[in-house]
Amino acid sequence: MTVASAPSSQLDDRELLRRYHVDGDRSARELLVQRHLPLVRALARRYAGRGESLEDIEQVGAIGLIKAIDRYELSREVALTTYATPNVVGEIKRHFRDKGWAIRIPRGLQELNAKMSSTIERLTAKLGHSPSIAEIAIELQTTPESVLEAMEAGSAYAPVSLSAGPGQEGELDPMETIGTEDANFERSEQRASLEPALEMLPDREREILRMRFEDGLTQTQIAEQVGVSQMHVSRLIRKSLARMRAELS
Amino acid sequence: MPHDTIELTTPVGRDWDPVVRLVLGGIADRLNLGFEELDDLQLAVERLLLEAGTQDSVMLAFDISETGVRTRIGPLRAGALAEALQGPPPPPGELTLRRILETVVDSFGVEQVAEDGQLIVRLEKVVRGA
Repeated sequence: MTVASAPSSQLDDRELLRRYHVDGDRSARELLVQRHLPLVRALARRYAGRGESLEDIEQVGAIGLIKAIDRYELSREVALTTYATPNVVGEIKRHFRDKGWAIRIPRGLQELNAKMSSTIERLTAKLGHSPSIAEIAIELQTTPESVLEAMEAGSAYAPVSLSAGPGQEGELDPMETIGTEDANFERSEQRASLEPALEMLPDREREILRMRFEDGLTQTQIAEQVGVSQMHVSRLIRKSLARMRAELS
Repeated sequence: MPHDTIELTTPVGRDWDPVVRLVLGGIADRLNLGFEELDDLQLAVERLLLEAGTQDSVMLAFDISETGVRTRIGPLRAGALAEALQGPPPPPGELTLRRILETVVDSFGVEQVAEDGQLIVRLEKVVRGA
């Protein structure tokens, strides 16, 4: 059996990198990403407990992995894991520095916010419905006011695209859309339809909007299907709508 | 629970959204709304506040009863917004403000204000099992 005819999953990193960079085989790139996600998860865990959910940190780390794969030069005599590790860590650090908390939030609130995502998921499964503020507060042994504050603190956090990868760097940060003057107010009918801007969204975020607003799935149901937390779905929906609207403005 | 009303006049702009979200959060806590229902109501209000565009301020009135909360937002200077909300339903696959509101609140409506074309949008969110 020649190397070329071997199942892709059996090929080593170097051959997959060659197929991607030389032959333009994007499935090889996908396979590399999947293969090294455990590395991303391991690195992301080092940064857990700093006010952001592990899931969010892993998403950021995955961007670093993709960038490492894309930037890898075949002439290098270094393993992909060795090359990718500083890229993943660098991406996570940069995220905490630049994109994590857009405004300064007290550490206690950040930590409470980070716990909320898993708490809501746990309570939703336990209660069979989306938990109330009071139920979340009891579970977290805090007050409803603190829960609301922590939720609000979460809105100061800029979420990471699910379909992050090359080409995402230039995307609008939600904070960039804040306070923009809307000089074309009279065009509200046109703005009321977000359709033209839908096409600019990454496939997965478009799919989430479709599931929510066309299929009528709840955030919890979408979260289960997509494999992220309900809070992350909420953030992505808001971010997508804001981005679409900014595009139309 | 008696019928209660909270009225809030707020400057228009994303910087002020947190104030509105916190008020809605307090109401949701009072009504025992689920986290997702609160999130939906916040999204609906935020979308309508965006439609307030260049207005300096807008009034929000929250009528709270044991069965739910009715939110009235306005006056909004957008005649076309009324068409967008009152016209025929959007075709499948089209994402419009109307479709968003249809998804995230139990019902909504538009009230005309006097003859100046301004309008108030009414959103209803029902407490499950009430």
